[in-house]
Amino acid sequence: MKGILYLNQFFGQIGGEELADFKPEIREGLVGPAMALQQELGDEVQITHTIICGDNFIGSNTEEAVETIISMLKGKEMDVFFAGPAFRAGRYGAACGHICKAVKKEFDVPVLTSMNDENPGVEMFKKEMYIFKGGASAAAMKKDIKAMSKFALKLLKGEKLLPAAEEGYFGRGMRDQIWLDPPVTAADRVIDMLLKKINGEPFDTELPIPKSDRVAIAPSITPEDLSHMEVALITSGGIVPVGNPDRIQSASATKWGKYDISQTDDLVKGEYMTIHAGFDPAAANNDSDVIVPLDAMRRYQKEGKIGGVYKYFFSTVGTGTTQAEAARMGKEIARELKKDGIRAAILTST
Amino acid sequence: MKLELGNFYVKEICFGDKTSLKDGLLTVNKEEALAVVKEDEHITEAELYIVSPGDRVRLVPVKEAIEPRYRVGGGPVFPGVTGDLMQAGNGTTYALKDMSVLVVGRHYGGFQDGLIDMSGEGAKYTYYSQLKNLVLVADTDEIFEQKEQQKKNRALRWAGMRLAEYIGAAVKDLIPDEVETFELEPVTKRSKEINELPSVVLVLQPQSQMEEGGYNDLNYGWDTNRMLPTFMHPNEVLDGAMISGSFMPCSSKWSTYDFQNLPMIRKLYKEHGKTINFLGVIMSNLNVALEQKERAALFVAQMAKSLGADSAVVAEEGYGNPDADFTGCIVALENAGIKTVGLTNECTGRDGASQPLVSLDEKEDAIVSCGNVSTLIRLPKMETVLGELEALARDGLSGGWSNDEILGASVKEDGSIIMENNAMFCGDQVVGWSVKRMVEF
Repeated sequence: MKGILYLNQFFGQIGGEELADFKPEIREGLVGPAMALQQELGDEVQITHTIICGDNFIGSNTEEAVETIISMLKGKEMDVFFAGPAFRAGRYGAACGHICKAVKKEFDVPVLTSMNDENPGVEMFKKEMYIFKGGASAAAMKKDIKAMSKFALKLLKGEKLLPAAEEGYFGRGMRDQIWLDPPVTAADRVIDMLLKKINGEPFDTELPIPKSDRVAIAPSITPEDLSHMEVALITSGGIVPVGNPDRIQSASATKWGKYDISQTDDLVKGEYMTIHAGFDPAAANNDSDVIVPLDAMRRYQKEGKIGGVYKYFFSTVGTGTTQAEAARMGKEIARELKKDGIRAAILTST
Repeated sequence: MKLELGNFYVKEICFGDKTSLKDGLLTVNKEEALAVVKEDEHITEAELYIVSPGDRVRLVPVKEAIEPRYRVGGGPVFPGVTGDLMQAGNGTTYALKDMSVLVVGRHYGGFQDGLIDMSGEGAKYTYYSQLKNLVLVADTDEIFEQKEQQKKNRALRWAGMRLAEYIGAAVKDLIPDEVETFELEPVTKRSKEINELPSVVLVLQPQSQMEEGGYNDLNYGWDTNRMLPTFMHPNEVLDGAMISGSFMPCSSKWSTYDFQNLPMIRKLYKEHGKTINFLGVIMSNLNVALEQKERAALFVAQMAKSLGADSAVVAEEGYGNPDADFTGCIVALENAGIKTVGLTNECTGRDGASQPLVSLDEKEDAIVSCGNVSTLIRLPKMETVLGELEALARDGLSGGWSNDEILGASVKEDGSIIMENNAMFCGDQVVGWSVKRMVEF
């Protein structure tokens, strides 16, 4: 198998800070730390090329640098891509992150890098690649390269991969279940954690609470403004025209639909229904306005409280649907609305 | 309150002339057992099977699991459900261990039903693959819900309970292999030594999301949607006061067997008097309306505080909407100064990158997490299927689908399957059995 390594101007033996504007170059064979990397990888993976780029150059011309490097890599045999280690060097860390991200996207090969936990590149890129927890300075070079290459070999051989903490990289925010070996029941783990918590001893929660991702509440709309505005209706309650034309899933949805209501005043039984599997559908199937309140909105429209109702209503299913999918769908729907100049929407859940 | 569980260990199950237990061999008179099942005229078709760990058998749609029991001195195993109301948790009950009665739909499944593989890669996903199981495969005339995604499964679930009582009665005149005693002194009458230990309440949040009757877990036959949090003796839960409902995505569900054996209760009992003072159970619920969630959390925190609890364990039977109850309850307890550990599973999506619980709070700093409902599972064909394999794809099981643009249908032509963990029967074992945990990759 074949691999390629990315280095900055310093580790690429071009020079120090004064040569940080060095434009990307690709060299056949091993330069600087590539030798140590090759040693660790042994016969399994051959490092065929080393790419070198100045930290300042890529920092100020990120797009150009990334494009140049990607074009250099085209046509090269490559099963894995490495960058760094970048230790605590901030610009170098960011460069490793940008390059790894682009290589992964373009060539779909595993990308690995290494940084110290104080390197800002960690926060910027840890969700998108394997960033190994590296030392603060080049003194850790051998150890950091060893960690990256050991994992790369496991990855390439298709061996069982352990959780981030055990493999030594920064968690990528991807959580999955594993079987404990030796097995320890949840009841035993609860008591262990509880006793530690009661006694004020340190304990490791199995679900560290991520930082909350809240959207600020938008400024309010005056009744005067509202009387001129079209309001959109959006629901995660699974209201669709009977027959579910977009085949939105009844649970764990990944699709949303939009349905023309420009000529409709009421979502009547037999024409609309819910396909949501997470609640008793009787009331919604009898009268879908209980979830998408079109009839009430039309009354407001007649009374002049709102300017109108947006020509489509949007629908998906919330049950079992992941936050990530929900956020994606929300963004897609918001884009449609903004495109049509809609500034107000009612989102109904169930 | 003192409960003595007389345990009979079942090593093997077979069909034979007389329903009886001898030297660990449970013999079942099939005809007699099926007659008990068919006491309900809504059962239109029924057959019994025996499956053991290692058998090349897949069961789907599995609706319920029950431990066969016999109440010594008379009375229903499930007071208020299979017979008159009476106090559960005080007295002697016989239990047939290492086995369960499983109820499987002959054809139709639903959102709440699951899958069990008795061997192979799939076996590790459920607790019931480790047990000897007497399997009732049956159909009913409940046409009104045959094609509904959500089913009450009333006739089948009750048939399972009758069958479990019938099997349990086989040991009524025998001496148990072992007697386990569960006894807690009244909260205010405990010794100085016990009172000096940190006190713990267990808060259980059983499934109660449906407004219409027939779907939710029952407490002495009472719909948990219609109750406020209440203080219970743990023996009541272990002795048939709680039965499973028919609603939750299946890996998150707690079966009746799970309630009868609730490992978290057993563990707290084991620690009682040694490391902790186990005060008892606060039985809460998981109603959908926000006000009901807030009211429940308020009641739980007040009760725990009035009981003098230093700490609490909160376990939820579900994910998604119920996460709001779980988080709300933990926050209310922590705000009351009660050190709390949560017990749950997560929905992090097929790629694992989604927010683990719908509702999160930094006060939830101690959580034991037993699984990802949306993990994709691929399993090869199994020699024998009890029930109907197509149900996984056709009937809207929470972890199955009939069409997916990329993955196709859950059931393949060659009999192999692709599903989400969601449909593994009571697979996440949040009641305390789970040897799975969530980690970050």
